[in-house]
Amino acid sequence: MAFDTFMFILMSGILLGGLYALMATGLAVVWTTLGVFNFAHGTFVMLGAYIAWQVTQSVAGGFGFMIAVVLSILVMFCLGFVLHFALIKPFERNQNVVLLAVISTLAAASIIENSVLLGWGPRDKQIAPPIGSKIDFFGASINTFDFVILGVALLTLFALAVFLRRTTMGRTLRAAAQNREAAELMGLNVPKLFAITLGISAATAALAGIFVGSLRFISPTFGADPLMKSLIVVILGGVARFTSPIYAAFVVGIAESFSAYFLGLYWSPALLFAMMIAVLLIKPEGLFGHRSKTL
Amino acid sequence: MTEPLLELRGLSGGYPPVSVFRDVDLSVNADEYVGFFGPNGHGKTTLLKTIAGLIDPWDGGIYFAGKRLNAEGTMRARVSHNFNYDLFRKRRINTRDVVDAGLIYVMQGNLLFPEMTVEEILDIAPRAARSRPGVAEMREQIHELFPRLRERWSSKIRYLSGGERQMVSIAAGLLAMPRLLMLDEPTLGLSPKLRIELSNAVRKIRETGVPLIIVDQNVEFLTSLVDRLILFDHGTITREIRAGDMPDHDQLMDMMFGGAH
Repeated sequence: MAFDTFMFILMSGILLGGLYALMATGLAVVWTTLGVFNFAHGTFVMLGAYIAWQVTQSVAGGFGFMIAVVLSILVMFCLGFVLHFALIKPFERNQNVVLLAVISTLAAASIIENSVLLGWGPRDKQIAPPIGSKIDFFGASINTFDFVILGVALLTLFALAVFLRRTTMGRTLRAAAQNREAAELMGLNVPKLFAITLGISAATAALAGIFVGSLRFISPTFGADPLMKSLIVVILGGVARFTSPIYAAFVVGIAESFSAYFLGLYWSPALLFAMMIAVLLIKPEGLFGHRSKTL
Repeated sequence: MTEPLLELRGLSGGYPPVSVFRDVDLSVNADEYVGFFGPNGHGKTTLLKTIAGLIDPWDGGIYFAGKRLNAEGTMRARVSHNFNYDLFRKRRINTRDVVDAGLIYVMQGNLLFPEMTVEEILDIAPRAARSRPGVAEMREQIHELFPRLRERWSSKIRYLSGGERQMVSIAAGLLAMPRLLMLDEPTLGLSPKLRIELSNAVRKIRETGVPLIIVDQNVEFLTSLVDRLILFDHGTITREIRAGDMPDHDQLMDMMFGGAH
């Protein structure tokens, strides 16, 4: 294999990793805070992309890419905030909350997906990337926008980490995640904090969706793949630390792009699932974790 | 006679369908130290958790500084299990109302937030104080009360010893600027040395002027500290003892178990 091909595969793997990290962190934050798996996460990615696409269309005023990103993130944050009260809060005092939340988030995923199908139709759409140029990177010709995506994804994750560690608001979020009763005894509004968490998760999903939508085509069903990949990443990496799913995302992204080259596109999901099963058998708490879930 | 700070009128509660305490009447004045003593498993913690708003009371009233904290009337029993009652039935007491009123509960054997540092917890703790003044002075006092915490300032709670965790819990409770602080077995499971250190700290809380309800199994510690000792047995208050005639350990055992211990 030529060096430029290797670099190209590696870079596309790293780019995929950045996108997966963004998606999986959103899922992991909800899992560690609310204690439920959000199966609507994939449709958040999809809906975020559709909202951004709509804003850039001439019907809606033909706004620029940046405005589309900001609007999409804001709308998805609000949607996530509201959906907590519709999907998870009604069951939070039930001892089967995890199972009930699986059903309610799956239901929401189905409703969102079919609403998008009704509203925007089944035809593929693409968000026009704002930067079209290519740059030469160690012999491989790579889109400039790919570097922008990777940079923004990592910056977003860094900003989220700083928010959770350094700001009082982020610290109250982590407090509510780690011990709900003690957080209530501190007078924190736990349902509101949980809703904000789901909002943040939906906002990062929207950002990831916009990036995916400007690399590939978007359709009402394209949320299934991000959800699957996020699940694989979260299981592979574990949720012991904020950074564990991020490392795992790059492992998955690079493994996927190399297996797509060597094994073919159809075999790369099989390889990822095989990796996931192996990790579950050998180190069930994830590659980068011990037996705990924290934020 | 001034109005009591905390007043319980005929309070009953428990974990449905199990009733844990019945018809508890109690009033605590604004300058009082009240101790609770009773065997394990007889409802002291459940009573405190109910007052703190973590568990819905079944019947009766909780009044704090003249304001009623829980909903009027009796809690309806659950008649069907095929129904998500939580969707329609509102909580009968709201933890945030209790905290806002200044009634702060420090849980028993509290792990608090295992992955947060002492500094982070004491940073967010004053949020419970809302607009009550004096947080800055309280921070100073906490450094004097628990000098040990300053050494562990940036350690995660997970790595602290039981006594240090208890200190962080109490410090966080004090930073909420309580008008009444409820401590649930602060010396539980501590080594004798730490127990003495913590007891001294609790004694010193008195100088900060915060009234206290304290549950503990250590008779000598309780009797030397409180103005009034309340014996709690089988889910009700069986006896109140004033500071003047505090019993020693053997007398107390006689009172509770009729000499058959």
